[in-house]
Amino acid sequence: MTKPIIEVKNLAKNFGDNQVLKNISEQVNPGQVIVVIGPSGGGKSTFLRCLNLLETPTSGEVDFDGQDLTTLDTKKVNTLREQMGMVFQNFNLFPNMTVLENIKLAPMKVKGVSEADATKRAHELLQQVNLDDHADAFPTSLSGGQAQRVAIARALAMDPKVMLFDEPTSALDPEMVGEVLNVMQELAQQGMTMVVVTHEMGFAKSVADRVWFMADGYIQENNTPEEFFGNPQTERAQDFLSKILM
Amino acid sequence: MKNKLIMAIALVMALVAGWTATTTIAQAADNSLAKVQKKGTLVMGTSPDYPPYEFQATVHGKSQVVGMDVAVGKKIAKDMGVKLVVKSMSFDSLLVALQTGKVDMVISGMNPTPARRKNVDFTHTYYQGGYSIVINKSDKGIYKDKDSFVGKTIGAQTGSTMYNESKKQTSGTTVKGMTSVSDLILGLQSHKLQGVAMEKPSAQAYVANNKELAMIPSHFDLSASDTSASVAFAKGSTSLVAAANKSVDQIRKQNLVNKDYLPAAGKYLKTNTVNTSMFHYWKAFLKGIEYTLIITVCSVFFGFILGVLLSLARMAHGGVFATALRWLATAYVEFIRGTPMMVQVMFVYFGLGLIVNLPALTSGIIAISLNSGAYIAEYIRGGINSVDKGQTEAARSLGMTSGYTMRYVVLPQALKNIWPSLGNEFITLIKDSSIVSIIGVSELIFQSNIVRSDTYRGVAPIAVIMVLYFIMTFTASRILNHFERKMQHD
Repeated sequence: MTKPIIEVKNLAKNFGDNQVLKNISEQVNPGQVIVVIGPSGGGKSTFLRCLNLLETPTSGEVDFDGQDLTTLDTKKVNTLREQMGMVFQNFNLFPNMTVLENIKLAPMKVKGVSEADATKRAHELLQQVNLDDHADAFPTSLSGGQAQRVAIARALAMDPKVMLFDEPTSALDPEMVGEVLNVMQELAQQGMTMVVVTHEMGFAKSVADRVWFMADGYIQENNTPEEFFGNPQTERAQDFLSKILM
Repeated sequence: MKNKLIMAIALVMALVAGWTATTTIAQAADNSLAKVQKKGTLVMGTSPDYPPYEFQATVHGKSQVVGMDVAVGKKIAKDMGVKLVVKSMSFDSLLVALQTGKVDMVISGMNPTPARRKNVDFTHTYYQGGYSIVINKSDKGIYKDKDSFVGKTIGAQTGSTMYNESKKQTSGTTVKGMTSVSDLILGLQSHKLQGVAMEKPSAQAYVANNKELAMIPSHFDLSASDTSASVAFAKGSTSLVAAANKSVDQIRKQNLVNKDYLPAAGKYLKTNTVNTSMFHYWKAFLKGIEYTLIITVCSVFFGFILGVLLSLARMAHGGVFATALRWLATAYVEFIRGTPMMVQVMFVYFGLGLIVNLPALTSGIIAISLNSGAYIAEYIRGGINSVDKGQTEAARSLGMTSGYTMRYVVLPQALKNIWPSLGNEFITLIKDSSIVSIIGVSELIFQSNIVRSDTYRGVAPIAVIMVLYFIMTFTASRILNHFERKMQHD
């Protein structure tokens, strides 16, 4: 049996009196694509943000590559974080830098990659997301779909072991969703380990290895996409699926 | 005699009083004379806006302080076998400068009042003057002496003996105080005042150089000590006072003031008033612009660095150390914003001067940087808060440390957001740098005051610097706008 790359043990997170995550224990194996779905306000984004410690868990463990992140010092967390790329709903590209500079910044400043190497790698990644002709553009001149693809390329530039996607298509116009999902699908096919929070059921069905259904602060169901969509086990999941158009 | 009361300096005095009490530079075993002779220079503090006692004149193309007091100072220095160095500053600052060791002696038409004797030591009297009242020539015949001004207004330097005596010894007369004699003369000529009480030699100088003016005797009832001028030294420097007294006695005995010094001063006054066109003084204005810009640019630069550090400290969180830092930075910002910049400038120059002897220009830059840093810190804090939290999260998720995130991602964006506020601060500083004129830095206001007292022209220099300030601020705002446009990527 392969060792899990991410293992969450008894994870809980409170915001004041509000218990957002209640005792979650799950594993992500290398190469797996996990899609986290569920109703809004169910704790999906908070869960994802706990994985790279953008949110500090109230209790429990987050093990990455065998090390418990919650016990490490800031410096060590920084170095482990660079191995977990994250893509945000609102892209969060740096508006004061060109597309190319956005991608080169972290490799050069964090890893000490030379300018020439970083530039070469950035162009490769831009080709991969079909945006090399926009290398010198500023983020504000890009469409949402283009911006999100640049954000993916930026995260990939750190050569992460895992990619975390936090509702990557929620802020996009419908006609741009496809181009972003295609890039993500290609990434999955190349064997990237991914945890994706999304409302795109089609993507979940065709790409996911496992679907985690999350509601009320718990992972209610952990299943294959076929089983989950065809034969949901919990009442909560059945209720959720009956309400969305398939 | 010019007798500005300690009132004006009381504020700074109070601030430094604690230190003076303990340091008491002068009360150390008296080696004051030996010290001066060892360093080879005798530093004289004076306020050069009081012809013929002391004033600025252009000698061989260079502006320098001349007058009968300078001649007295030269004689004293020469007799001690050292070189005289003249340091200009406002009259209010002279005694503090003496007590804090910025100058070795003060010769500025100062009279040895009992109040002053408590704080400094005086030599024998080197000149005995008297008071006159300057009036408009057209009013000659209307006014005869101090008692003729019933229902009218006479002016005198604020806090001076003339001011106090005018109040005491007239009835039914309004006495108006102004800081400088050139302002008083301007008030006289614009008929806001009907007479100006001042010292006889000064009155003579003004009347000789301005055909519109005339003088009448004051008939004030005065004691000798109110009209005599002495040299002031730091308390306890008996050997210096003794040495200076030898020179002063010679001056009295040989009547040097009336025979040599006053006529020589009169000659300088004449050369001054030969050409009073503002173009003639372009060098003085240029120097003023130069210093104003030096002060502004340096202060903005250091103020910005300080502002960044302060704003980061104000946002520090986690741990006792961070909390202490945050409180300290907050207290600093509140304190600086809650006290006048003028007081801060005086405190840095005279207060810190007790510990390290800083030149006036450096003190001015330090004080304004410290002040500006507090304001800039608040701008930057607002700018940092205006940057979307997602930017920080994106940078941190890429493995960047909080330091790198701040430096490469947040600060550049914050800077763009606050650029207009920073530009505003820069332009404000160009104007506010004028405050350092009080400690004798030759920036634009200081220079214009010199030109005013040089030329006996009250308004023209003010108009000139008004235009100059506008040219500077307007140019600065154009340049800042240019950079603002350059930063607009989106």
